[in-house]
Amino acid sequence: MTLNLRMAWRNLWRHKRRTWLTATAMIFSNVLLVFMISLQLGSYDMMINNTLQAFSGHLQVQRTGYNENPKLRTSMESIQPLADQLRQALPQARVTARAEGFVLASSEQRSFGIQVIGVQPEYEAGVSTIPGLVRQGRYLQDSNASEIVIGAVTAKNLKIDTGDELTLLGSGRDGSFAAGVLTVVGIFESGNQAMDRSFAEIPLGYFQDMFTMDGHGHSIAIALDSLDQISTAHAVAESVIAGNDQLSVLDWNALHPGLKQAIQADFSSAWFMYGVLIILVAFSVLNTQLMSVLERTREFGVITALGIKPRKLASLVMLETALMAMIGLIIGVFLGWLVALYFNTAGFSYPGMEEMMERFNLPGAMYPAVSVFSMMLGPSVVFLFCMLASIYPALRLLRLQPVEAMRAV
Amino acid sequence: MRFVPALIFSLLISPLAAQEPDAQELVRLAMEHWRGLTSYSDMTMTIHRPDWERSMTMRSWSKGEKLSLVRVVEPKKDAGNGTLLNDNNMWTYTPKINRIIKVPSSMMSQSWMGSDFSNKDISKSTDIIDQYDHELTLREERNGHVFYTITSVPHEDAAVVWGKEVLTVRDDYVLIGQQFWDQDGEMVKSLETLEVEEMGGRAVAKVMRMGKVNTPGEWTQITSNTIEFDLELPENLFTLSNLRNPRQ
Repeated sequence: MTLNLRMAWRNLWRHKRRTWLTATAMIFSNVLLVFMISLQLGSYDMMINNTLQAFSGHLQVQRTGYNENPKLRTSMESIQPLADQLRQALPQARVTARAEGFVLASSEQRSFGIQVIGVQPEYEAGVSTIPGLVRQGRYLQDSNASEIVIGAVTAKNLKIDTGDELTLLGSGRDGSFAAGVLTVVGIFESGNQAMDRSFAEIPLGYFQDMFTMDGHGHSIAIALDSLDQISTAHAVAESVIAGNDQLSVLDWNALHPGLKQAIQADFSSAWFMYGVLIILVAFSVLNTQLMSVLERTREFGVITALGIKPRKLASLVMLETALMAMIGLIIGVFLGWLVALYFNTAGFSYPGMEEMMERFNLPGAMYPAVSVFSMMLGPSVVFLFCMLASIYPALRLLRLQPVEAMRAV
Repeated sequence: MRFVPALIFSLLISPLAAQEPDAQELVRLAMEHWRGLTSYSDMTMTIHRPDWERSMTMRSWSKGEKLSLVRVVEPKKDAGNGTLLNDNNMWTYTPKINRIIKVPSSMMSQSWMGSDFSNKDISKSTDIIDQYDHELTLREERNGHVFYTITSVPHEDAAVVWGKEVLTVRDDYVLIGQQFWDQDGEMVKSLETLEVEEMGGRAVAKVMRMGKVNTPGEWTQITSNTIEFDLELPENLFTLSNLRNPRQ
């Protein structure tokens, strides 16, 4: 075996330049794959985080069934104390309590149906980006004030501005008429049409008063610093609500069922491009190995005449390919890792990206994910395809006739 | 002798016509019977849900097909809330904020006062007369009354959300039932008369219940305590200023 290995290694360096050229193709494609895949995985983390930061948070505590069928009466009692409890149990997380209702909002001139959210002004900014997106006026401050923050499109539709009055009309939790006159203190612009058009926030205390909620609310949103903390935080939140079987903890996958599918769809479509790259590399390996087998026909003929089995020769050729692919893999992954590591700390952004993300109150750079999975996924596939490409040249050797082969030029 | 075929035709048709009243006419008479030229009623609306129930007492006035006014009397918390309808326009008044709000057309399918009636159910009740084609599909005799079942399909261009409605009318024009079917041929909700009583000089539906088909535990029941028909109503009853400051 060691003899085989030594022979394969020496054979490889009989054509130094050719070996290096093929290996360089592998190194190049490996660096590219490592960088692209880690960037892609990093951008998915960013996509998830950005989506969750916009409003929902990473985890939510709700009354069981509220997520599927949100109704005003599917509420949980004493929501503020429960939020305090969660805040204590999860010191590293940001926690805010909310209530949601549907109202008819009317200004002097027009009326529209909108979704109104009761929020805790002092905690909301930690979970949602909306407080930071107020373009005009200010965000809510007092938990009981008759103040409202509305989306830019709503403001345009209702023809109102900050300082104007807005009337809300809906049904309370006990079925009574819920009505309130509020002052518009801020107008936010999230860039998300649906939110800007039909979304408004009012202080939770005022919401509970107006809708006769009696201390009830609908959800407690929990925001974390990274996706890795979700499972621990989930378990802690479960233990906090353990005494109450009406409640459940939902993770982001339950809150945004489309997000994971969108990511999977995007990842599989990216593999079309990677596939082209990998197949090109595999063909160049096939070309190199076929050539190196053909030019050694005489040599192989002599060796077989001396009694070495063609099977052994075939495995020699495979070993040569494996060694070459190994060189490509090690150097490629190392260089790719360096590039990914650099951008992992420095952040990757293209011109204009920072300004664009700024408008959505989001971080302006992408950070490639550096993990064994993101580093090894692409190069392993390249390695596999190179080995597949060497099968044909190796198979040719099995049909080698020593006499004819020795006569070959 | 051009009239002869027409004469024969009318002879053929008339015995049938005498027995089976015209469906269109039945629907119109049922609606007129229900509203009268003018009407006043005192009613209790009960909203039932699996885990709670709530009742409101209301007064309502109507005039012709277009005008009606509903005002909440009890519970005290909601007293004074009112709805004014003029043709297809709807306004609502809430004393808590002292505002009159016009209900936009986008909100017409929302529930009215938290009940199982939508704003549209309340406001467009007479649309069925002229926006639908009516066909008599069943004639039954029960307890000494004849019940007519009429299937009504909206005109091609009618601005109506339903695929069809099925009405049951008793021979004294009391509306016994109304089913709302969607355009896929599924029944969505139905209004049933649970009790008929002589009030205000005619037999009327005293207790009616509206419920959606897929949520059997949820319904809204309206019980009329008193009804008066064809009374003298002041001119300014159906105005926005009266909605805000009641004079009666």
